[in-house]
Amino acid sequence: MLVTIIIIVVVALVVLLVIIGMRRRPRQDEGMQNFRRHIDALSPEARREVHDRARRHEEGRN
Amino acid sequence: MARDLAIDLGTANTLVYMKGKGIVLNEPSVIALNRQTGEVLATGREAWQMIGRTPGYIVAVRPLRGGAITDFEITERMIRLLLQRVGVSRFTRPKVVICVPSAITEVERRAVTDAARRAGAADAQLIEQPMAAAIGADLPIDEPVGNMVIDIGGGTSETAVISLGGIVALEAVRVGSFDIDAAIQSYVRREHGIAVGERTAEEVKVAIGSAEPADDENQAEVRGRDLMTGLPKTVILTPEEIRFAIDDVVSSIVSSVVRCLAKAPPELAQDFLVRGMYLVGGGGLLKGLAQRIERETQVPVKMSNVPLEAVVLGAGHCIEHYDALKSMFMGARR
Repeated sequence: MLVTIIIIVVVALVVLLVIIGMRRRPRQDEGMQNFRRHIDALSPEARREVHDRARRHEEGRN
Repeated sequence: MARDLAIDLGTANTLVYMKGKGIVLNEPSVIALNRQTGEVLATGREAWQMIGRTPGYIVAVRPLRGGAITDFEITERMIRLLLQRVGVSRFTRPKVVICVPSAITEVERRAVTDAARRAGAADAQLIEQPMAAAIGADLPIDEPVGNMVIDIGGGTSETAVISLGGIVALEAVRVGSFDIDAAIQSYVRREHGIAVGERTAEEVKVAIGSAEPADDENQAEVRGRDLMTGLPKTVILTPEEIRFAIDDVVSSIVSSVVRCLAKAPPELAQDFLVRGMYLVGGGGLLKGLAQRIERETQVPVKMSNVPLEAVVLGAGHCIEHYDALKSMFMGARR
């Protein structure tokens, strides 16, 4: 009886740890994804639109 | 629905970028008020033309000094009027990103965001001027290389080393091109005994002001009020005199650049020798300043293609990619 309870507690703990581990992993991925998005948003391609707009504004003023 | 805005709330000029449209406003940060009733009479260029030329009941003021709000109520009114001019009403409340000096205090930060919110913004986020300038000057700050930007504004001069989308080293001094104007005013008063206004001092700076000697230099004729007789008087100023007059201010700016270089990690420092430093801001247009910094640091200095608009374009880029770049805002990191 005691052995069964110990096994159940151990299994429950393992399941809990696995669940915590699975929950943590996406958060780490999220950090990487956010950083990637941040860097991509600063790329020259992403910035081109704003600069083109500024150039058009400058040409319009001249 | 209002379009979100980016505002470069500078000591000298205020620029507004509208999401999806570009720069929609570029005006001096000046407001003219009726001293008796407190009524706003003019803002921007119209108010700037009034500086030093108003009758007793009108006062034309710059509500920002050294990049910080000196008069909260007047700044709020100025921001409100600027937002109204670009189509913001009490029913259309946009998100706003405002560029501020990096050396701004917590109290000053709150003053800027409160002023923007009370003026009609739904949400006001702040971004450091050198970071916005680096984005706007189109530096490759998404790469793991050292990018150095020197932003010389009306009231502040800031130097930052940026790599991988973040500030690595930063140095700021509350000295800018208005201090150069003030140094010219004080020199002319001391050495020639005449009083000149701040607009005249600025004209002298633009005409013959320089940080390093050049080949094609001219003298300038300046008119002011004789301090002894009170009568109008004309004097001739030479470029050497002006260089001497502004040397303390220029030295203070150059020293802050040197301090920032010293703070940079060695891996990034070697990039500057190859890539150079980028100069932005109206103060960076002072003749010979790039050469002076180059001479004292032994690092090449390049002028940005958009020196006056770089900061607002950078903030505009942040408003265009708000969700991806919101971690750059000042509140997000502290």
